[in-house]
Amino acid sequence: MSVLRLRASRGSVAPTGARGVSLVRAAREARTDLRLVARGWRWGRRPLVPASAVSSTVVTPRPPFPTAWARTPAVSAVRDVIQAAGLVPLMRRELTTKVGGLDVLTRLRELGDGPVVFVANHASHLDTALVLTSLPHAWRRRTAVAAAADYFFDTWWRATGSALVFGTFPIERRSGTLSSTPQELLDDGWNIVIYPEGTRSPDGWTQRFRLGAAFLAVSSGVPVVPVAIRGSFAAMPRGRSWPLRGRPAVTVRFGEPLWPQDGEGVRELGPRIEAAVARLHDEDATDWYAAALRAATGTTPSTAAPAPPATARSAADDGPPTSTAVAAADEPLSTWRRVWERTESPDVRRPRRVWRV
Amino acid sequence: MTRPGLVLEVDDRTPPLLVHEGNGFRLEEFPRGTRVLYPPESLPAVPDVEAAITRALLEPIDSEPLPQLLFPGMRLTIAFDDISLALPQMAAPDIRQRIIEQVLTMAARAGVNDVELVAANALHRRMTAQELRTMLGERVFRSFYPQGKLTNHDAEDPAGMAHIGMTDHGEHVEINRRAAESDLLVYVNVNLVAMDGGHKSVPIGLTSYKSLKHHHNSHTMMRSRSFMDHKASAMHHSAWRMGRVLKDHLKIFQIETTLNNDCFPSTYAFLQKREWEWSIRDQASMLAARRGLSVAPASLKHRIFQGIRAPYGLTGVAAGEVEAVHDATLARVHRQQLVEVDGQSDVMVLGVPFIGPYNVNSTMNPILAACMGLGYYFNSYRGKPVVRQGGAVILYHPVEPAFNQLHHPSYVDFYDEVLSVSTDPAVIEAKFEEQYATDPWYVHLYRTSHAYHGVHPFYMWYWISHALDHCGDIVWVGGDRRAVERMGFRSASTLQDALAMVQGSVGASPSITYLHNPPHLIADVR
Amino acid sequence: MRALEIYRSAPRYVAARAAGGRMPGLLVGAMAPVRLVTRERPAPSGRGWAAARPRLSGICGSDLGVVTGSTSLYFSALSSMPFVPGHEVVAELLEDCEDLPRGTRVVVDPVLPCAARGLAEDGDPCVPCTAGTPNLCDRVTVGHLSPGLQTGFCRDTGGGWGEQLSVHRSQLHPVPDDLPDERAVLVEPLACAVHLARRAEVAPGDAVLVSGAGAVGLFAVLALRELTAAGSITVVAKHERQVALARAFGATDVVRPSAALGGVRRTTRAMKVSPSGPGAASGGLPEVLARTGAGRSAGAAEFLLGGVDVAVDCVGSTGSLDLALRATRAGGRVVLSGMPAPGADLSPVWFRELTLAGTYASRGDAFAVALRLAASAPLDGLVGGRYPLHRWREALDHAHSAGRLGTVKVCFDARDRS
Repeated sequence: MSVLRLRASRGSVAPTGARGVSLVRAAREARTDLRLVARGWRWGRRPLVPASAVSSTVVTPRPPFPTAWARTPAVSAVRDVIQAAGLVPLMRRELTTKVGGLDVLTRLRELGDGPVVFVANHASHLDTALVLTSLPHAWRRRTAVAAAADYFFDTWWRATGSALVFGTFPIERRSGTLSSTPQELLDDGWNIVIYPEGTRSPDGWTQRFRLGAAFLAVSSGVPVVPVAIRGSFAAMPRGRSWPLRGRPAVTVRFGEPLWPQDGEGVRELGPRIEAAVARLHDEDATDWYAAALRAATGTTPSTAAPAPPATARSAADDGPPTSTAVAAADEPLSTWRRVWERTESPDVRRPRRVWRV
Repeated sequence: MTRPGLVLEVDDRTPPLLVHEGNGFRLEEFPRGTRVLYPPESLPAVPDVEAAITRALLEPIDSEPLPQLLFPGMRLTIAFDDISLALPQMAAPDIRQRIIEQVLTMAARAGVNDVELVAANALHRRMTAQELRTMLGERVFRSFYPQGKLTNHDAEDPAGMAHIGMTDHGEHVEINRRAAESDLLVYVNVNLVAMDGGHKSVPIGLTSYKSLKHHHNSHTMMRSRSFMDHKASAMHHSAWRMGRVLKDHLKIFQIETTLNNDCFPSTYAFLQKREWEWSIRDQASMLAARRGLSVAPASLKHRIFQGIRAPYGLTGVAAGEVEAVHDATLARVHRQQLVEVDGQSDVMVLGVPFIGPYNVNSTMNPILAACMGLGYYFNSYRGKPVVRQGGAVILYHPVEPAFNQLHHPSYVDFYDEVLSVSTDPAVIEAKFEEQYATDPWYVHLYRTSHAYHGVHPFYMWYWISHALDHCGDIVWVGGDRRAVERMGFRSASTLQDALAMVQGSVGASPSITYLHNPPHLIADVR
Repeated sequence: MRALEIYRSAPRYVAARAAGGRMPGLLVGAMAPVRLVTRERPAPSGRGWAAARPRLSGICGSDLGVVTGSTSLYFSALSSMPFVPGHEVVAELLEDCEDLPRGTRVVVDPVLPCAARGLAEDGDPCVPCTAGTPNLCDRVTVGHLSPGLQTGFCRDTGGGWGEQLSVHRSQLHPVPDDLPDERAVLVEPLACAVHLARRAEVAPGDAVLVSGAGAVGLFAVLALRELTAAGSITVVAKHERQVALARAFGATDVVRPSAALGGVRRTTRAMKVSPSGPGAASGGLPEVLARTGAGRSAGAAEFLLGGVDVAVDCVGSTGSLDLALRATRAGGRVVLSGMPAPGADLSPVWFRELTLAGTYASRGDAFAVALRLAASAPLDGLVGGRYPLHRWREALDHAHSAGRLGTVKVCFDARDRS
């Protein structure tokens, strides 16, 4: 082995003759060229158009990043391994996760093995990993995640990575129209995770749901499984790339599937989904029956913003109202208070804390 | 939608730009503020070429339809542009083949027996049989070549030339006898650049030294501003005068074609694109090509570049009376190639590419490189030159003193003997032209081998006389130092050095314009 | 006295012959059959001889030929080892020599004919000597001197590359006082050139080709311009300084060796023919052959039909002679000035009925003309190197690549002991 290496190095490095010299020169030239191109064409960064050529340059939309490869059996198997051996232990180490409502999936399977659309609120990059690791293995391996084309599929390495690890596929959020891919995936029997808010919430509160998920459900006739995720904003909000220390608590709760009814349109199903996710949040924070009661009376707490202070005082009796809260009763809630409320982790360790205290 | 030509201004966001240099190219980072002229994108090609040709022949401009000009017992001669066009060579089938096949089909239908085809190569080298076969196709070649009815024009055949008359300026008009004595001369042209076509076709393509020297001389060339605009070119004026003399003696049916700007096949797509629009794939193939070329032996590089066949699309074909046809042709050429430029600049930068009109399947020797850069590209303007009077021209080319002995025997002697005595076109003309033009060996090689005529290198040198007269400094980047100096220019190893060298005439921060050529462009300088 | 001598050494001769031309390092290194020795002062018996001290002595191409072993063995019978080389000599007499007083500066006509060998006064000079062509003397191996065609190849006379030599009155030409040594040392080669110009028999207006622009070639140009009414003189020169000098000496065209045939063709408007025919110039078998010596002697190189009236080979290499033969018109004259190497293709001599003319040394009034030329011609700076004897390795190396180094003539100055 060492002899071989010695020979090889002598042959290629030692500039014994013109050939050796020319090899060295060729390598140097190649490096110069490569540097010139890498700098000139801004490898790894955005391509730029010279200012004087902007008006004459047609920006051709890039074709969607191909992700079919990521759903082939072989790559799925690799992903299985990555998720089971990497993602699941990692999530367990970094987070305290409570998963609820998985029985809806069992019951769905009794009805057949058609695909479903999971609809979840979205406050953190943790959400996808949370949903996927919460799903039973049989479900997880047939689940793909809709990810923003302009973020996750912007560069080849991010696109490849997320498609490999999470089974993401690109979805165009700017134009509002879905590319044809999710439809095809459903037809192929893949479950889909969609975040109808379109983006991560800036303050942890749910934003307006868009109608893409409802549209998919209606056009493909598949059920929508609402998913409520609590605590992911507190654990890893926008701007963080790793969860907080101390295994913050998060909960994932799956709700009853919503079937598109006969004659039900996108505009009817959409609000139903939004309401179902809100009810699920309520259920997760309190209990199933109380949430059902509140849903029946239309008093499910909003997930879009905290309740006004007055209501809050009567509903939740934790601590006396402050004078500022009273003073601000009729103004919109300030941003810090919205964020403040959502940065509190859900209380999944309560029994233990009782024991401690 | 075809995008028009563009004048780019180099800024910090501009990637390095591609510059041709002989059998290779380099990436150059131009100083900020450099103007770069890009030709318009390729115009859409005519979808049905055959139908377009038929229509042009049946509905000619200012002429009877071709079938009406054909009758049994007539003498029909078809002349066509030689291999100096198009550049790079056109991917088969050549447009000349498609037109000549239709013309011959009509002639056969009309019962014309006496048909001859002649390549209008003037004092260019004779085309080889293989080149004729490739250009005109197997059918045409097989029907005419073995019978000696498909020939190259021979300007030195005393029996083969006919003196037609004199122009009112006292210029001899002499053309190929067969053509002159035909009932109809059909001329098939490829109008690659605005210089070609019109009365440049017959009165120059089929003529002799005697006639050529009236306009191919340093004096006339100096006053041709530029060759791309026949109304401002003294050379074209002379040709036009000759054409008008010819018109009274000979029925000419002119067929002119125009091509779009698709100069490079898809393998070299990056050569055709604007750099900032290069995809990763373009960048990769450019890098791969650069690496490959740097290790390839010269002969392989030569083969690679000479092997490029351009997938030109036809943008139009017109037939009929010479001048009327040419007007229509020029309009199309201009639409494809004109780039509007605001004002002249101090420095003009040119990359001399691997091919010019006179080194098809051959070597671009120093004289041809000079002619390509300072003759053709420098003159590729309308109005006034891109560079101001007294400005500097910087060219890229290896300028290897390598000559093709078969094609350019007189160039070797011109380089060794003439250029070492003088580089002044007028001096050279007075002292040497006659000798070279009448040298029996050159004449012999021109007639029997595949050599350019003895006088041809002089014409190349006259082509550049306008540039020599107009420019203060001419510097070659990356050229063979001795060859560059032999031609009376200066050489630099980098653009920065070249700019430093021309500081004397243009100052420390000159305005620079780079002609991003090919694809072909004409700078319309306002 | 100290002198450089060339001695007989078979291994050195073989080694020099094998590698001398290609590897000058060897030639000036251990393998040259040259050595610096202290030897007896030369004292030939017989009348008319006198001792002289060389002031400058040039290194000639033929000297280098002997050192590198490239000279034909033909000449081995015409020299006597060990000898002190140096036949381009300007010297001063150390004793009176008949009518010339001691101290006279002289140049030496090196040929050693009957007169110098004591055969003339015996009343039995050879036919050439009687006919006034002593340079062609038949008796260069007999008489009271050892064999030796010239001073500088003869054991008994000594040569210019030593501190002293013997000269015969018949060899001597006094140098005018106003002619400096550096010009006087060029008189001998100039005399050869004068003789060459006469042997060339140039008719008025003739086109002449001079192949080679070393000292011989340059002086040939000078003499041809001076003594003949030649029309064009085309000179084949390799190096930059040679080009300039050739022009200064009267060449109308100066061409590089690679462009020589083409240049001649242009000036004479001849037809050029390549054995493969004009249509197959690219890569055909003859083309490949022509690049090799074997191919050239097989006749694969291009040639002219037509060409110069007179060609002069001033190099003596196969290639140079080949060029001269191929560039000369039918019935023309080819003059051999350099010591010719074997291997040239003589087909043109037969087919074109060429006249081959040799030119060796000089005779008649050549020295008188040469002395005049030496005074008037633009010869300043031609001696580009003066070396003391003990730096002979440098001197020979310099002389060997004189053309490339822009030097025309390298000399020994035996008086210099520094």
